[in-house]
Amino acid sequence: MENLAEEKKGTTLLMMGNDAIARGAMEAGVRVAAGYPGTPSSEIIEDLASVSKQLNMYVEWSVNEKVALEVAASASYAGLRSMAVMKQVGVNVASDFLLHLAQYGTRGGMVLVTCEDPGALSSTNEGESRPYSKMMEFPLIEPGNFQEAKDMTKWAFQLSEEIRNIVMVRSVTRLSHASSNVVLGELPEINTQPEFRYHSNLMDTMEGPIINLPGTVSFLHRSQQEKLKRVAEIYDECSFNVYTGPDRPELLLITSSACNLYSREAIQILGVQERVGILKLGTTWPLPPKLLEKHLASTENVLVVEEVLPFMEDNIKAFTASIGVRIGVKRFYGKADGTIPMVGESNPDVVLNALSKILSVKYEHVSTDYSKKAAEIAEKGAPPRALTFCPGCPHRASFWTIHTTLALGDREGFVCGDIGCYSLGAISSGFDTLKTLHSMGSGTGLASGFGKLGNLGLNKTVFSVCGDSTFYHAVMPSLVNAIHNRADLTLIVLDNSGTAMTGFQAHPGLEVNATGDNVPAVDIPAICRAMGAKVSVCDPFEIEKTQTVLLKAADDREGVKVVVLRQICALSPEKKGKKLYDMSVDEDICIGENCGCNRLCTRIFKCPGLIWDNEKKKAGIDEVICTGCGVCASICPSGAIKKKEVK
Amino acid sequence: MSPAMLSNDPYNLIITGVGGQGNVLASRMVGDMLLQSGFFVTIGETFGASQRGGSVMSHMRISAGSYFSPQIPRGMAHMVVSLEPTEAIRVLKDYGNSQVKVISNTRPIHSIGVISGEQAYPSEKDIKKWAEELSQQVWFINATDGAMRLGNPIFGNIIAVGALSGTGVLPLDRETFRNVLLKKMTPERVEQNMAAFDMGVSMIDSQTI
Amino acid sequence: MRTFGPKELLQDVRERGLCVECGACVSLCPYFKTHQGKTAMVFPCDLPEGRCYAYCPKAEVDLDELSMNRWGKLYETTPLGNYIQVLKTRAGKNAPAGEFQAGGSVSSIITFAMTQGIIDASVLTDREGLTPVPRLVTRTEDVIKCAQSKYTTAPTLEALNIAMHEGQGKLGVVGTPCQITALTQLRSNPLNLPDFSDPVSLVVGLFCTWALDARLLEPMLSKRLNIKNIKKMDIPPPPAEILVVETEKKRIEIPLDEIRPLIPKGCLICPDMTSEWADISVGVLENEPEWNTLIIRSESGLEVIERAVTEGWLITERLPEKSLQHLKIAAGNKKRRALTKAIEDKLLNNQGKNNRSSLRLRSEAVDKILEPL
Repeated sequence: MENLAEEKKGTTLLMMGNDAIARGAMEAGVRVAAGYPGTPSSEIIEDLASVSKQLNMYVEWSVNEKVALEVAASASYAGLRSMAVMKQVGVNVASDFLLHLAQYGTRGGMVLVTCEDPGALSSTNEGESRPYSKMMEFPLIEPGNFQEAKDMTKWAFQLSEEIRNIVMVRSVTRLSHASSNVVLGELPEINTQPEFRYHSNLMDTMEGPIINLPGTVSFLHRSQQEKLKRVAEIYDECSFNVYTGPDRPELLLITSSACNLYSREAIQILGVQERVGILKLGTTWPLPPKLLEKHLASTENVLVVEEVLPFMEDNIKAFTASIGVRIGVKRFYGKADGTIPMVGESNPDVVLNALSKILSVKYEHVSTDYSKKAAEIAEKGAPPRALTFCPGCPHRASFWTIHTTLALGDREGFVCGDIGCYSLGAISSGFDTLKTLHSMGSGTGLASGFGKLGNLGLNKTVFSVCGDSTFYHAVMPSLVNAIHNRADLTLIVLDNSGTAMTGFQAHPGLEVNATGDNVPAVDIPAICRAMGAKVSVCDPFEIEKTQTVLLKAADDREGVKVVVLRQICALSPEKKGKKLYDMSVDEDICIGENCGCNRLCTRIFKCPGLIWDNEKKKAGIDEVICTGCGVCASICPSGAIKKKEVK
Repeated sequence: MSPAMLSNDPYNLIITGVGGQGNVLASRMVGDMLLQSGFFVTIGETFGASQRGGSVMSHMRISAGSYFSPQIPRGMAHMVVSLEPTEAIRVLKDYGNSQVKVISNTRPIHSIGVISGEQAYPSEKDIKKWAEELSQQVWFINATDGAMRLGNPIFGNIIAVGALSGTGVLPLDRETFRNVLLKKMTPERVEQNMAAFDMGVSMIDSQTI
Repeated sequence: MRTFGPKELLQDVRERGLCVECGACVSLCPYFKTHQGKTAMVFPCDLPEGRCYAYCPKAEVDLDELSMNRWGKLYETTPLGNYIQVLKTRAGKNAPAGEFQAGGSVSSIITFAMTQGIIDASVLTDREGLTPVPRLVTRTEDVIKCAQSKYTTAPTLEALNIAMHEGQGKLGVVGTPCQITALTQLRSNPLNLPDFSDPVSLVVGLFCTWALDARLLEPMLSKRLNIKNIKKMDIPPPPAEILVVETEKKRIEIPLDEIRPLIPKGCLICPDMTSEWADISVGVLENEPEWNTLIIRSESGLEVIERAVTEGWLITERLPEKSLQHLKIAAGNKKRRALTKAIEDKLLNNQGKNNRSSLRLRSEAVDKILEPL
C-alpha cells in the first residue's frame, strides 16, 4: 500500500490485512524487518520496505526464512523492536533457529508473523504453524478481524517485551489478502540506539552472551515455562478475547482468526443469536485458563471452528478434561467428529452447515431448482481454466526444450521440480515435465539421490529445475552434496531475474534490493563453477541453441552439469507492456490440423496469446494477450507464424 | 445516497474475470469510493497462483454497520460484474440466485483447454441466454472494444466500474471516483480513467429504455 | 494401402520392437525426431492418418500395391525382384579417387549424376564415431566422405524429409532396402496430397542382409578401440564369421555370434536383400574385393549406367553365372526367412480393423516363396 506512513492517526482506510499488520508494526516502532516472499505474506515486507527510509528502518528480503528470522533476532538482541515475516512453510524452514530463539528469549520486542494458506490456494501443502507455539513454548495470537490485524500486531511487540520472548502473530489468506475499514493509530518517534550487550554472565539473559549450551538449557527452559505462565495470566485479561451471546448459551462456539468472521455471519444469517454464544479467542497459545473455564462452565455443548488443524480443539479438550472435576463433561463438535471438515479452508457455508446440523435449523441458501439449473448451465457455460504460464513466460520455452531433450535422450529421463511459477511444469502447460514436487530446494536434493541410484541400476537421466530465488534459498547445499558425491544429474536454473510467483520481489541475484538500494549481485553461474559443476548459460528463447546444450548435458553421464536459462519474467517492470516483436500468422502457409503440424502451437505449445479459428481452420494471434516474445515463430513447423521486430 | 439507503445490508457484489484483467484494481477503486461515502467495505480476493490464467474473484460486502466475512455465503450475491463472459456463468453457479443482477463484458478469453481444442467455448448467444435465465437483470457491455478505442485493453475494468455506477445499485458517483483517482495518479491519467468511467456509464444508459 | 496415424505407428512399430531407425518418419513434422540414432516422439499427435505411418517400411507395407505403383505389375516372387540386368562393376578411371568400399561404384555413380546434372544433390549417410549422420550433399567433393559401408541402422531419410520441406527436388538417394521401401511409399503419395511433387530423380539401393543398432554397438566397440577414429568396417565373405573394425592404428575382429543379438527385430522380417525398389542396386561381389555386384532395375537407371560407362566413370563386366546363382540363393533365403518369421510373429496379412500387419502380400505369392526348394 502506498504512503502507509503518511496517513495520520484517526484516519479510516480500506486496508488489506497485510497492510494493517505492517501499519501495526510501524505503530509499535519496529526498526528491523526481514522475510522471504510467500503468498499470502509478501505485502508486509513490501509495505515496510517502502517506508523504511522515512521511518529509519532496515528492511530486507532475506535469502530464506531461517536467515530472515536470524536477521530479525539480531535486532532484538540489540534492543530494537523487530519482525520476521513468512508464510506457513517458512516457519518450517526457520524452525531450528526458532527453537533456540524461543528457549533463550528476546530483548527488544520481537514478532514472528506467519500468514497461512488454508485450502492451499497458492501452496503445495495445507500445513500450518500454530503447533510450533505449543511445541516450542512461546505465545501465539491470532487477529480475528482487520482492525485487530493492526492493533494486535502492535500489542504483540509490547507483550514480547513484557515476557522477553518471541510472539507469533498468525494470519490467514482471508485476512491477509482481504480488505476492510481500519482506523489508524499514532506513529511514534523512535530513536533507540541499537546496543548489543554481552559482558555479563551466561545466566544473565539481558546483559550476558546469548548462548544456548548443554549446561544452560535446563535453566533457560525453566525460565521459558515461567514466561508462559505469565502470558496465560495476561491472556485472561486480554481485550482481544471477546464473548458475544447469552450468559448460558445452548451452544458455545469457540473460534479464532478468519473463522471468527464466518462464524459471526453464520449465526446472524440463521438468526440463532439467542442460542449460540461466540467466544472469539485472540490469544490461542497458551489458552487463557480462567476465561475458558468460565465459558466452558456455562454450557453443555461446544463447537470449535478453526483452520486448518484441530489445534485449539485438541488443546481445549485436554484443558476441559483437566478441569472436568469442577465443570463436568462437555459435548464437543468440531473436526474430530466431522462437523467441520478436516481438509480445506473454512467459509461461512461451512459454519452454516455445522450450526444447521447441531441446532436442527433448516438452511437452504438458494432454491434447489436454481442450483440445479445453474450447475447444468455451468457445465457447458464455464469451461474450467487450467493454470498456465503467462504469455511470454520464459518457462514455457524452457520446459518445451527440456521435455524435447528428455524424449530424445537415449535413456528415459525425468525432472525433479521445485517451488515457483515453474512448478507449473508439472501440468500440461509445462508439458507434464516435472515428476516430483515438494518444498523449496527439494528438487535438487532428490536429484542428488536419484543421481546416485545409477550405481544401483536405475537407468534414467536425472534433471532438476529451480528458480533463481530458489537457488539461493535452498538449492546450494543440495548442489554441493551432488557435486561432492559425484551424482550424475543436470540442474537447470530458470533465471528470470526475480522472485516471480509471489509478485516479482528482489533476491541476491539482482543489483537492486527491497528498499531500492544498489547492491552487489551474487552470480549463479560463478557459484556453480566454484563448486565444481560444468556450467552453461543460455537464453531459453533461443530454442535450438538451448536444445543443443541440454542434449549435451543429458548425454553426459559424468557428474553434475548446471545449465542456467536466463530470460526475464514477462511480468517484470522492464518487460511488461513492451513487445519485442509484432506477431502474425500467414494463413496461406499455416498447415493447421493437417499432417505436418496438427496444430502444434495451439494444441501443444498452448500459449494464451495464440488462437485457433475453428472455422477458418487456421491459427491466429490474440493481439490483446500476446506479449510479442517471438517463441511461437521458432517452433512453428511451416514458418507461418511471423515475427517483426518492434522499433 | 446515504449509508442508510443500501437495498440490502450487507450488499454483496462480486467482480470477476481472468487473472491479469485488473479485477483487483477495480474492486479497490469501488471499495475506496464506498469508504469515502461512509460505508463499511469488506473485500475478499484470490491472489497468487490463480492469476496465472485462472479465474479471479473479488467478493465485496458493503454495509452501513459492520465488516463481514470476505467470502460471500453461497447463493447470496446481489450483483455480479464480470470482465469475461464465462466467468459470469461460473460465479452464478455458486453465488447466484433468482434476484441477482449481472453486468458482463462480451469479449471472451479462451482458456488453455479451449485453445488446445480439448474444450469448446460457448457461443455468445448461449451465454446471453443463460445469463438471463440465471438472473433478474443482465447488461452486456463491449468493455474491451471500448478500452481498445481508448488505447489500452486494461481500461476494460474501469469501464466496468463506470457501468456498475450507471446501474445505480450502489452509490458510486463520478465525483467520488475522481477523488479516489486523484489520490493515486497524475491528473493526466485521471482524465483517461474518467473517460473510461464515463464510457461505462453510457453503455448502461444506452441499454436502459 | 491401409494408412493409420502416429498412435498406431507407436503401437505397431515401436512397441512391437520393429523400428529399424530408417528416418522415414523423422522431420516430416514436429513430433518425430531423432538424436544419435534413436527415433522418438517428442510430443503427442493424434491424427487418424499420417505420412509417418504411410511411409514406415514396417507398418502395413503392401508389397503388391507397391510393386504395381513402381513397376506396373504384382510383386515378383523371384529372389532378386524386378530387374533388367545384373553386372559386375567398379569405379572407372575418371571417377575421383578416395577410400571407398569394394568397387566404389556407388560413389562414382552418385558423383557422376551430380556432375551431369541428373541430380542436384544427394541424400547420403555419414558417420561420426559410430553415430550415423544423414547428409544432404550438394558438392561432389563431399560425396566421398559418406562412402564407407556402415553396418548400423541410420535415419538417412530424415535428410530427405528436410530437403523436401525446403523445396528441394531432383535428389539422388542412397539407402538400404528398408529406407528404399519407405522412400518408394513416399513417392507414391499415399495420402493423396494435392500439392505433392516427387523430389527424387535417382535411387541407388544397397544390398543388406541385416544391420546393427548403433546405440548397442557403441558400448561394445568402445571397450576395444576409440570409436571416434573408426576408418572402416567390413564383414568379409564366408567362411569368415566376423565383423572387422579398423582405426588408423588398430584392427579388431568380433565374432558374428556376438553381433547378432544387436540386430533390430525389424530386420528379421525384411524380405528384401537387394533393394528391389531402387533404380540401381549395388553390393559386394564375393571373392572379388575390388568389384561390386550391380543390378539395373529401371530405364532411368539403365540410362545412367550407360552414360557413366561411356564417360569412363564406371567399368562393367559380365557377372559370372556362379556369382549370380549364389546371389539368388542368398536373396531367396532372406525372403523365405522373413516371411516365415512374419507369419510366426503374426505380422503378415492380418484381417480386421484393429489387427494391423507389418507386411501384406497375396497368399499365392507367399506360398510360392515358401515352397521348399
